[in-house]
Amino acid sequence: MTSPLIRFALAAALTFAAAPAVAQTSLNNSQILQGLQGLTDTAPVITAQQMRDQVQAHMVQYPGEALTRPSLALHLDKLPQINVQIQFRLNSAIIDPSSYRTLGSIADAMHNPILHGYKFIVTGNTDVTGSRETNLKLSQARADAVVTALTTTFNVNPSRLEAVGLGEEVLLDSKNPTSAINRRVQIFTVGRVGAK
Amino acid sequence: MTRFRVMLAAVLLAGSVGGASAQTMSYADAAGLLAQSCGKDIQKYCSTVNLGNGALVACMDKNITKVNAQCKADYAAAQASIAKRDAAQDSIVKVCNADAARLCPGMIPQDGNLLSCLLEATKVVSGACNQAITDAGYR
Repeated sequence: MTSPLIRFALAAALTFAAAPAVAQTSLNNSQILQGLQGLTDTAPVITAQQMRDQVQAHMVQYPGEALTRPSLALHLDKLPQINVQIQFRLNSAIIDPSSYRTLGSIADAMHNPILHGYKFIVTGNTDVTGSRETNLKLSQARADAVVTALTTTFNVNPSRLEAVGLGEEVLLDSKNPTSAINRRVQIFTVGRVGAK
Repeated sequence: MTRFRVMLAAVLLAGSVGGASAQTMSYADAAGLLAQSCGKDIQKYCSTVNLGNGALVACMDKNITKVNAQCKADYAAAQASIAKRDAAQDSIVKVCNADAARLCPGMIPQDGNLLSCLLEATKVVSGACNQAITDAGYR
């Protein structure tokens, strides 16, 4: 199981992968593959709808100002996962060309036979800048854009992917809620193809 | 690692020469090539369309006479590679079915075990199946 520290390092590494050397890129590819494999039978079972419900419940329970409320804890540390920075145009779900390679790397991992039999949830996350509702919608649109690129441009079977916008509710660095590190796409391996 | 880099160099070299028989690029390399050679033109002509659903391809095709020459060439190469890889992946079960039955009898595909079996048996796997595995990027 990957430790949160390694996962954090991975997110940081991918942030600076815009103009990568060849060796660096292949390393990132294997890191993505490593991060997404190893789902165990004892891992928690989660659906996209349950995630959305948790976000809604959290927004109702903590209506206060962003800097005063706690980050939503999804308790999914036991699931294989990666955090990646995908660059989008400002306030838009248009993926910046500088992130095409990262998306290709994710597709390569999902096409690897080791991961062939698995399903994933792709979540979008913003920082707390801007309106909470807008961030929720934007994060869903961005997660949708990532899933659409993976399933259409890169041939990943649509039945293996679901997109969930988590808005600004799940912070990677809850002590610095406006930090750019919180703007990320997080991908979880959630089950086997064919299983419910 | 070194072997991979040599292989990649060979792929890129073959691609730049014309690449009719080039191996497919990884999706990462194809997408990276597109971004590298066409990033500026994409910002210029296609900044309001997204990568997925064929939207970028439609926009690029519409503007292909306006983009820079390197972009035009690499866009075609990236697209061809992705298409070839997609096709190989989609065909592999069918193409390798007889080899799998012959060389890996009774194996239920899971976590890449069937492919590992076929890779181990590379020397006796049919040419078509070996080619499909290569083009699919599974080697």
